[in-house]
Order: sequence, then C-alpha cells, then structure tokens
Amino acid sequence: MTTKSEIIVATDGLTKRLGGRTVVNGVNLAIGRGDIYGFLGPNGAGKTTTIRMLLGLARPTSGHIRIFDKDIRKERLAILRKVGSLVEYPSYYGHLNATENLEAVRRLLGAPKSRIDEVLAIVRLTQEARRPVKGFSLGMKQRLGIATALLGNPELLVLDEPTNGLDPAGIQEIRELIKSLPRTSGVTILISSHLLSEVEQMATRVGIIAKGELIYQDGIERLREQAQGRIRLGVSDPEAAWQLLLSYGYPAEWDRTKLTVGQADDRTIAGIVSRLVQSDFQVYRVEEEHASLESIFLQMTGSEASL
Amino acid sequence: MLLRILSAELLKIRRKLVWLLVLAGPLGVVGLEALAYALRFDYMIRPADSAKMWSDLLSGIGSLALPALLIGLAIVASMTAGIEHQMNAWKMTLALPVKKRHVFAGKFLLTALLLFVSCVLLALFSLVFGLTLGSSLGLHGSVPIGGLLREAFYPYLAAMPFIALQAWLSVTMHNQAVPLTVGIVGMIVSLFAGSRFPDWVPYKWPALLNQWHEPLYSVGAGVALGLVVFLVGMFEFVRKDVK
Ligand SMILES: Nc1ncnc2c1ncn2[C@@H]1O[C@H](COP(=O)(O)OP(=O)(O)OP(=O)(O)O)[C@@H](O)[C@H]1O
Ligand SMILES: [Mg+2]
Repeated sequence: MTTKSEIIVATDGLTKRLGGRTVVNGVNLAIGRGDIYGFLGPNGAGKTTTIRMLLGLARPTSGHIRIFDKDIRKERLAILRKVGSLVEYPSYYGHLNATENLEAVRRLLGAPKSRIDEVLAIVRLTQEARRPVKGFSLGMKQRLGIATALLGNPELLVLDEPTNGLDPAGIQEIRELIKSLPRTSGVTILISSHLLSEVEQMATRVGIIAKGELIYQDGIERLREQAQGRIRLGVSDPEAAWQLLLSYGYPAEWDRTKLTVGQADDRTIAGIVSRLVQSDFQVYRVEEEHASLESIFLQMTGSEASL
Repeated sequence: MLLRILSAELLKIRRKLVWLLVLAGPLGVVGLEALAYALRFDYMIRPADSAKMWSDLLSGIGSLALPALLIGLAIVASMTAGIEHQMNAWKMTLALPVKKRHVFAGKFLLTALLLFVSCVLLALFSLVFGLTLGSSLGLHGSVPIGGLLREAFYPYLAAMPFIALQAWLSVTMHNQAVPLTVGIVGMIVSLFAGSRFPDWVPYKWPALLNQWHEPLYSVGAGVALGLVVFLVGMFEFVRKDVK
C-alpha cells in the first residue's frame, strides 16, 4: 500500500462521457503529499480530460473528486486557492509582456506583487520580463506558464504535458526546473506525459491510464521491479566466458556486444564471478541493467510502435 | 472580487485596438455630423435660435450614433472575449480561485464600461461641436446639458439587452463570426424597427420610440431585459464545461 503519507488528491470512480464515448472510465487516483506523480498514457488516453475535472474545468459524468480532503463540487474555490496549474499548451496574452501576464493573474489571486519577480527568477525569465510574450519561444512560453502556476504559492502543482513540443534542450530544462521545485518549496506535483522516459527520472509515483482506464498506480520502484533486471558482465573475452557459463548451466546470453545473465539471485552471481575468476577471466564490471521502462509501458498500454 | 477581476480585465486590454475603437466611434459620429454641416453651411437654413440649433444637432448626431452603438457593442464584446479565445486563456482563468459567474460578469462589465466611455466621449465631442457651431453662427445661448446627456446615454441604456447578449455569445462561442453576424443583423433590424415593429420588440428600444413618446420607458425596459439576458447568460456560462 501507498498510504505512508497523507493523500491529497483522491478520485473515486471518476468518469467522463464526451460525445457518446466514455473518455475517462472509473479512475481512482491517489496522490500523496509531496509526491511527484507521473500521470502517463498514450495520446487520447484521457489525461487532459481527467486533469480538467480535477481543476473543476469540466464536470465528471459520475464519480467524486476530493482534493485536500475537500469535495471539488462544494469547495472549488478553497481548493483552487492552493492549486497551480498548466493545462495542455500554455495560455498567455501575447500583446502583454511576461510581467504583465503574471500581473493579470496576480490581481485575481491577490498574491503580493513581489511574487512576480520571484517566480520569474524561478523559471529564469527575469531577463525577458519586459518583452511581449508573443515573441517568446515555445520553451519560454511554457516556462511562463509554469511561473503563472507557481504564482499563488500552490501546495499542489498540476502540469499537463509541460514538455510537449519542446526540443531536447527545452525538455531537459523544464525537467530540471520541475525537479528542483519540491525540494525548494515542498509542493506536490502531478505531471502528465505520454512518455514514461520523460517523468521516469523525477516521478516518485506513477499512474498509467489507457483508453480512459487507470491500469497501473504505484511507486516507480515497483514499476522498475517489473522491468526484469538483467546483470551485465564486463569481462575479458566475453564470448569464451559465455560458453564457459553455459557449460556450467548459467542462463548467460551473448549478443555479440554484451554478456548478460537474466534474473539471478546474489548467490548465483557470486558463483558466476568466482567461476570466471578461477578460469582466469578478468572481471571488469558486474552491473544491473534494467529493461527499458518504456517497453513495459508500451506493453501495458498496448499501444503501437508509433509511440 | 469583481473589482479585482475588472482591474485584471483592464490590464489585459492594455495597448489593444479596442481602445482605438472606443475613441474612433464617437469621433467618427460627431465628425460625420460636422462634415454634413460643413458641406451645406453656405446654403442651409439658419436655425432661429440656439435652442433650435442644439436640438437639430443632437437629433442628427443621435441618428448616426444609434447604428454605431449597435455595431460597436458587438465588436467591443467580441474583442474583449477574444482576448481569452485567442490564446485559449479561459482554462487558465477559470482554474484560478475565482467564481465562474464573476468571470462572466467581469467580461460583461468590461464591455459595458468601454461602451460607457464611448458615450461619455460622444457627449464631449457633441458639446465641443455644438459650441463651435454656435459661435460660427453667432448664436449664443445656454448649453442643453440634459439633452446632451440624454442623447449620449439613453440609447446606451436601452441597448443593454444587446450588450448582454453580445457579451454572452462572444464569451461562449469560440468562433467570433457567429456573434458578429448576430450583431450586424441586429443593427440592420433596428434601423428598420422604428416604424414597423410593435413597441415590445427590443430592437426598437435603443431608438427610444414608443407610443407614449416617453424615452424613459424604452430605457427602463432595456435595463430590465438587459439584466435578465445577463443573468441567463451567466447561468449558462457557469453550467458549461470550459473549452
Ligand atoms: N469535447 C470532446 N468531445 C468528444 N471527445 C472528446 C472531447 N474532448 C476530448 N475528447 C476525446 O477524449 C479522448 C481523451 O482526450 P484527452 O485530451 O483527455 O487525452 P490525453 O490523454 O490528454 O491525450 P494527449 O496525450 O493527446 O494530450 C480523446 O480520444 C479525445 O478525442
Ligand atoms: Mg492531453
């Protein structure tokens, strides 16, 4: 179970029908305080629709949402006061500069004026603060969106595909930015993506949604465990070592570039290493190698190679 | 809260074309009337006195201002709502801790406020033109302040149902062609409404025509129906999922 910390986002049978189709189907999310929750799913899985319901932008067809232990239908404003969000592509007023954009939101939030410079600094837009936003690159707009989300000092930050459409450098930058956030301010983050690799390095928990249904929800380690680890051996003359290991009945594999052993306990590995050493092989490395999480993710969501 | 929303709305239209429109509308109307006077200045029948001059002037400006108001309100409503539509900012605004009905009210108030500014400017420009005309005709008399204000604000108040309607349509529809078409058709209908339609037809109200010859009836009906349309629009907006 995962209830080591207080659950601050909980949905119960969350369902949304749109145009006669069930787009989100009986989803039970559970996000604990301080989690960085990776909300994953292929395109069209229902991530944005779920997030819209969490933010009160869309009404669930059925099911309940509790955030900070409050019902979104009854206490939407109280909840939203502690939530910052960025839904799909960033929203902004192009003719205004970054400071003015933030000011327009600040006036609604009633946050202190000084907060504008703070969030600009966090997303490193201080230098560009006086330029009209329509001239911003997508990455800068995305950062402004995150700054806007941070403006009210939220306890929960909801980011829907914040790296969508960015180049690798931009993706890296946003990722670093997000990773640095909880450490500095203790916020809980819900971040959606259609790529596991994108949230893998920062997420503490993962929820996977496919065709509107939540098919996995647990800590990231559990997902890693499912990725059957292999042990890679770096040795002198790997091909000969492979044959030796096979002859002793170890499940070794040689693919002409690397020598690996599948699922093996500590004693087996110790046996392998001593066998190799006794046979005068030099052992350079014994390391765990994870099957890519991406492949498990693809398997789970049953989506095609196009992803 | 509403004040905060309105101040945010005013910030959002900073450096926007809509301000130019707010200025150009009344300026164009009074300018056109001035042009009409200038063209026939030499052979027109001189008004007998200052009072007659003002009443001719105000009715002339009034008949030009009416279609300008009706088309202007559609454009202004579309522009103020367009600020959110253009960059899909509704989802950002409505995920903030603000009441949805306040957001709707904010857009309506902004539109009404901008049009109000236009009406103030209309009164000012009319005053300036009237004083200039009076002195060039050698007619001196007191300025009919009441008539001036009536000319500027009665049609505005009587047009309240249309301001509310256009605000509602512009806010709820992503494609602004629809509300603009409704606005244009509305203007044309109201141009012909004067003699043909019964008094209860709202398109007749901004012209302040009714069988009792009491403009205030039209004004009262306009404000009342405007409030109803506003409330209906607000409830529909609150109910709907955000695009
Ligand atoms: N207004 C609507 N009417 C009908 N169907 C809709 C509507 N909005 C979304 N959908 C459908 O709902 C499904 C889920 O959409 P959603 O945007 O939630 O997916 P997503 O997981 O966010 O995908 P992506 O990774 O592409 O952003 C899609 O198949 C979409 O076509
Ligand atoms: Mg999406």
